[in-house]
Amino acid sequence: MLSVRLRKAFPDFTLDVAWESREPVVALVGPSGSGKTLTLQCLAGLATPDDGRVVVGERTLFDAKAGVDVPSRRRRLGYVFQGYALFPHLTARENIAFGLRGQSRAHIAERVERITEWLGLDGLGDKRPRELSGGQQQRVALGRALAVDPDLLLLDEPLSALDAPLRRQLRGDLARIVREWGKPTVIVTHDLPEAYQLCDRIVVYDHGRVVQSAPRAELLWQPASETVARIMGIPNVLRGTVVKATPDRIQLRWRGQLLEAVNSPARAYLPAADMPLAFFIRPEYVRLIRKDRGPADPVHHMNVMRGTVVEDADFGTTWTLRIRLDEPGPPAQGAFDLEVEVPHLVYEILEIDRDRHWEFSIHRGSIHVLP
Amino acid sequence: MDFFPVWLSLRVSLAATALTLLAGVPLAWFLARKAPRLKDLLGAVVVAPLVLPPTVLGYYLLVLIGARSPIGRFFESVGVELAFTWRAAVLAAAVGSMPLLVKALQAGFEGIDPRLEQAARTLGHSEWSVFWRVSLPLAWRSLVAGTVLAFCRALGDFGITLMVAGSIPGRTQTLPLAIYDLVQANRMNEANLLAAMTIVAVLVLLLGVGRAARVRY
Repeated sequence: MLSVRLRKAFPDFTLDVAWESREPVVALVGPSGSGKTLTLQCLAGLATPDDGRVVVGERTLFDAKAGVDVPSRRRRLGYVFQGYALFPHLTARENIAFGLRGQSRAHIAERVERITEWLGLDGLGDKRPRELSGGQQQRVALGRALAVDPDLLLLDEPLSALDAPLRRQLRGDLARIVREWGKPTVIVTHDLPEAYQLCDRIVVYDHGRVVQSAPRAELLWQPASETVARIMGIPNVLRGTVVKATPDRIQLRWRGQLLEAVNSPARAYLPAADMPLAFFIRPEYVRLIRKDRGPADPVHHMNVMRGTVVEDADFGTTWTLRIRLDEPGPPAQGAFDLEVEVPHLVYEILEIDRDRHWEFSIHRGSIHVLP
Repeated sequence: MDFFPVWLSLRVSLAATALTLLAGVPLAWFLARKAPRLKDLLGAVVVAPLVLPPTVLGYYLLVLIGARSPIGRFFESVGVELAFTWRAAVLAAAVGSMPLLVKALQAGFEGIDPRLEQAARTLGHSEWSVFWRVSLPLAWRSLVAGTVLAFCRALGDFGITLMVAGSIPGRTQTLPLAIYDLVQANRMNEANLLAAMTIVAVLVLLLGVGRAARVRY
């Protein structure tokens, strides 16, 4: 459906990526300066790669070997720029109609009408971009790109210009619009939840290279490496040493604890004892052990540890606790060892604001060993 | 009182402004968009008329269009005389005005977010269409300001015009030249009137620029 291979060298940076997707919606995720926007520009024909090939469906847009380089204006694409790049001298309606040419006035008017209605922009057609809110500008930019019924939709940080509450709401809207539209879409973002909600496949960029390309669920649960896990902003990426490994279990030593984990299915070999190994623990899968129900039942609780909450932060529906283990030596992550997420209700019932010392457990399936 | 210089100056300045626009708009666009390497050199050449002595400019312009130059000969062969006619006055005024228009408009083009032009390209527009529908409308303020400055400069040109068009009363004597002659002849009342008219005309135009510059999108 979408096949991309690009190489473009600059004095201080080289983009060298290759990825494919059968899924319609792809996210490019990675730190700033990793080449995501440059990739979009190459797809759009606004930057010319030194080498490579870009195929959308049946159409070859660029092929260095065959000398194919379709100019931007003939690529039939919709590009939503970061910050939207709406034409400030034109009204919302004129912006949306900008790509509609060579058709009758009535036809253009009808098409613009349909788009504004679909995107919930009724009544705003005569306003200029500066008179519109950030969310409305975003939808006008989306409308301008979709009005031409492109073969490929490119979105560069479509939500980053918006403030947080609006952003979450528009993320849902954008997901709906992109799905309804149903054609190949590439979204650049550095926000993992955004990528996860909007896209089917996630391609992770780092320093101009692809470090992993996988369906979204696979990427979330099986990052290909410690680098990917860190780029994706997964909390609690930790390093331990192997004690013993079997095909389905790995025992690890970390901060004086003996942890038991499920071995990664992606691992082709068994690590030897004393080998360093990276793993991560999802904060929402750490279980605090209630003090009012007697000693912890070993059937339900494994990998039991003790520690003190040294810091906590309220995220509205959840609390994030930073816990330091009752273990001598420097903590694993600066001032703390483990980040733990608990629902608001649990925080209140357990009175965590008052009671700071806790025993907790982690199921072996929730300790994810990185390949 | 002879008002011929007033009408001549208006005609010459309008023609010179048109000529400046015709050559200056593409030049400004070229400098802003297409000439990263040539920019410094071309930029210096474009600005030179602002700082060179008008007599120097006039001298070279005269050499360029005189009866012995290829250009002069060509125009003579098609029956058009250049040197010491009102046409030479137009050329002289245009040379003086060019840097004002080009610099203002170049800054206007450079101030445009390049993504706006890219967006237009991705939406199927050709370079020509991008220029007329995005670049020029967005540089509109600079264009208006540059045009008015160019017109005012054309109206006031003295030195270059004197060199290439002379100061032939009733033929090439423009407003500034006429004022000079009137003062030399000690006809102060007439000089005063013409000078005051010039000031009023220029002030009205510059106020107009202020207006145009306040247009906001």
